[in-house]
Amino acid sequence: MKGAALKLVMLGKRFKGKSGETEALRDVNLQIREGEFVTIVGPSGCGKSTLLSLVAGLEDATTGWVEMDGKRVHGPGADRIVVFQDAALFPWLDVTGNVEFGLRVARVPRRDRKERVARHLATVQLEKFAHARVHELSGGMKQRVALARALVLRPRVLLMDEPFAALDVQIREEMQSVVQDLWQRSGATTLFVTHDVREAAVLGDRIVVLSHRPGMVSQILENHAPRPRTLKDPAVEEVIRRSNEILKAEVQWSNNQTKLLL
Amino acid sequence: MVEQPDQAPVVARNPERSLAWEFRHLVPMVAVAVVAVVVWDLIVRWGVWGILFPGPTDVGHALVVFWNSTRLVRAIAATLRRLAVGFLMSLVLGALLAFLMVRFATFGKGIQPYILGLQTFPSIAWVPLALIWFGLSETTLLFVTIIGSVFGVSIAFADALRTVPPLYLRAARNMGSDGMDLILRVTVPAALPHLISAAKVGWSFAWRSLIGAELIFATVGLGFLLESASSVPDIAGVMGVMIVILVIGIVVDQLLFTKTQEWANRRRGLVPHR
Ligand SMILES: Nc1ncnc2c1ncn2[C@@H]1O[C@H](COP(=O)(O)OP(=O)(O)OP(=O)(O)O)[C@@H](O)[C@H]1O
Ligand SMILES: [Mg+2]
Repeated sequence: MKGAALKLVMLGKRFKGKSGETEALRDVNLQIREGEFVTIVGPSGCGKSTLLSLVAGLEDATTGWVEMDGKRVHGPGADRIVVFQDAALFPWLDVTGNVEFGLRVARVPRRDRKERVARHLATVQLEKFAHARVHELSGGMKQRVALARALVLRPRVLLMDEPFAALDVQIREEMQSVVQDLWQRSGATTLFVTHDVREAAVLGDRIVVLSHRPGMVSQILENHAPRPRTLKDPAVEEVIRRSNEILKAEVQWSNNQTKLLL
Repeated sequence: MVEQPDQAPVVARNPERSLAWEFRHLVPMVAVAVVAVVVWDLIVRWGVWGILFPGPTDVGHALVVFWNSTRLVRAIAATLRRLAVGFLMSLVLGALLAFLMVRFATFGKGIQPYILGLQTFPSIAWVPLALIWFGLSETTLLFVTIIGSVFGVSIAFADALRTVPPLYLRAARNMGSDGMDLILRVTVPAALPHLISAAKVGWSFAWRSLIGAELIFATVGLGFLLESASSVPDIAGVMGVMIVILVIGIVVDQLLFTKTQEWANRRRGLVPHR
């Protein structure tokens, strides 16, 4: 693919632990267009979080590398921001303090900072909670703060690791439309990990199904359903059905492996 | 998007009651003190030890005498000044040592047993060496205060720094923070409640070391006052100074540490049980 904004090349990761080595990922090749929304699904423990950590530069790859605009990336950078499953907000800061964290690190001048924070709190509809403390927020609100904290840095790449897994169904669907909206406005290239195939199908331009561990790309499904999407769109339903089939086979395989071991 | 409720309004307190209200948690503490003094008085009136065990009124009188001669004020001032300087220096040195132990894990592993050993080493046992090095000077008192607390402080600080959840560090590194910026922006604030506990441990070490050293030699200070009252012997005076030392301990603990700890905890929604 030409003009890929983000390129994963033969990416692999082995962890050395006390009980020997764990191979989390093997030879993952993926090319992602500028502004594309790619969702990643796969069995539990197949290396989805590891994949995002490698792209974010929070872990070093054992093999292969990550490229942005044709250049290899090394280490973490504010151009690739992760939204973690449990938000990872800083409890010693209020909502504003959390959202402006990265801007302070980058020494953005105060006036500019205040303006950008206010604008991003407004886009996630949390203006009224600018000075609330983290423990006063609900799960959905925390994730919206985490989204604001990420987007305020105008990252080229947004990496989301099961950001809504801990939320109940209603809030999750609401957050899915928030994310679609923010993604369309920000134009950030997005990698979104989820264990919910339906979520993957609603959000993704492409759905990458990873195999059981060590995670390899098992299949990539295109999703051309027009946006904004809902779960009831026939095109989305079809993608869900096909993703489920592939994923079931992968999960089946790892279940059988477990049985064999027992 | 679902409508979000406004923040709950802060419940207004009755302003006339608020001062007494602020100190309501002190009521049980004061009650215990009153009961203790009454029991003490009753025991003295019962008259088991006679003159060797003065009652609250005698002790109060001895304290008034000390106060009127300004000896007590000067002793408190001298001791607190030494404590402040010694404790602050031990915080700085302890923080430095803790940082090195956490940052360089192998160094930390290697040195930790020795520091633990030195922490349990009686601080008074440093006095002979300090006297040879620094003579009968303020430096000796400061040295003993620092050496008596710095190891406890560094161990407790290192433990506090190790409690920082790795996820916070990952999130911060992800947003471009590293090195000193990461330490000041994330590690320290994340560990703050534990760091305050650590400082509290350090202060009690420093306090004990200082009073101990002052007992051995000093020309002014609470330890010295205690020692000179004992050599008279002024039994009521001795007990009076002991009570002053106890009260200072309680006040510093309550005002400096318990309050700041509650503040740090409340900010992050960890409200302690009162
Ligand atoms: N820091 C680490 N040290 C050792 N092993 C690790 C580490 N991080 C992950 N692993 C291992 O790598 C494998 C992949 O982990 P990862 O968290 O990426 O999976 P995942 O697909 O995100 O799982 P889940 O769906 O449960 O979130 C697992 O076997 C895990 O135990
Ligand atoms: Mg994961």
